[in-house]
Amino acid sequence: MKKIFAITVFTLFIFTQTAFSQVPGYWSFQYATGFGSGDLADYISKPSFRGGLIEYRKAIKDNVLVGADFGWNVFYEKKEADTYTSGTESLSGVQYRTQNAIPILVSAEYFLSTENALKPYVGLGIGTMYLERSTDMGQWRLKENPWSFAVKPELGLLYEMSFSTSFKLAAKYYNGFKTGQLENQGYFSVSAGFAFHL
Amino acid sequence: MKKKIVFYLGIILILGSCYPQGPEYYEDLDVVYTNYDDQYDFASKGTFAIPDKIVKITGELIEGEDPEFVDGKYAGPMLDKMIENMEALGWTETDDPANADVVLFPAVWTNTTIYYWYDYWCWYYPWYCGWGWGYPSVSSYTTGTLVMTLVADGDDYIDPARVWTAAANGLLSGAVDINRVNSSIDQAFEQSPYLNTK
Repeated sequence: MKKIFAITVFTLFIFTQTAFSQVPGYWSFQYATGFGSGDLADYISKPSFRGGLIEYRKAIKDNVLVGADFGWNVFYEKKEADTYTSGTESLSGVQYRTQNAIPILVSAEYFLSTENALKPYVGLGIGTMYLERSTDMGQWRLKENPWSFAVKPELGLLYEMSFSTSFKLAAKYYNGFKTGQLENQGYFSVSAGFAFHL
Repeated sequence: MKKKIVFYLGIILILGSCYPQGPEYYEDLDVVYTNYDDQYDFASKGTFAIPDKIVKITGELIEGEDPEFVDGKYAGPMLDKMIENMEALGWTETDDPANADVVLFPAVWTNTTIYYWYDYWCWYYPWYCGWGWGYPSVSSYTTGTLVMTLVADGDDYIDPARVWTAAANGLLSGAVDINRVNSSIDQAFEQSPYLNTK
């Protein structure tokens, strides 16, 4: 009962706290996770817990921000000894698979509410994603490193902690479109960090 | 501002230190490659011959000189392992290569790669480090390759022809590990089920 009461009070506090009726621009630094889908998940099934994100946003309206994102996630998996066959050739051994994904995007955020301390938003990013896939086997490395056209739909929220700082939590899906070297590469990302208002 | 820079640099360093590591053990770098002539009908054959020595390929043999051979105490178990695998696939060993359907030729070679790195110790002139100044160190690693080829010279071929090739490659440790080599020999036959004559 005490717990429910505490949660209710905290929730009311968050939603009723008065705040700026506009969202100022910011620099944000976040820790980012990655969960591969499609071809990326087939290649590396483990999620990435190594990643980060830097964002810049400038207010162009009370509830619309535009800016740029620079992110990085590295996916990694050791595949135990196995045999890979192509035509009459077979190769067996342990494989070390690494894939770096570095999205560089221009982004926009549309805030659904600006009245309270908690400000939910939807966002969209468009740009490029540099991908570097390395397959290490024995002393050899097979490397593919294309730049792909990328889009990133996003849902998130800013929680205004003080005049100059907000906490940011976001869920996004990065999609790097097919290139000559790699199929479509996509991953879900949950990121959290701080936004320092300009 | 200084505090912020230290904070961001900290994040970058933490993320960098999380970068995935590669192989930890010598056997993690072992690979086995096989290829075969898919026009050759292995199933209709049944006899093989094999020399009682394993030649070392050095690339330095002068005409008229005898080649080097692998020490008998290592070559013996390796040859036994090859014979065991051939017999398990239904082949019968014969002493006379002229009467054998195929001849199994084993050979080994090693390759040493030398590389340099620079250890930095900047004494009390930290700015020197930025100039690439330091103490060069030399190190090396040696890889070993065991090749097994099956050569056929029956009615099917005017000249003897290689119908199966297997190459096992790995990083050599200080001590000879015959179990690692034997595992690679087993693997080469395991990933070549078409050799089965049963």
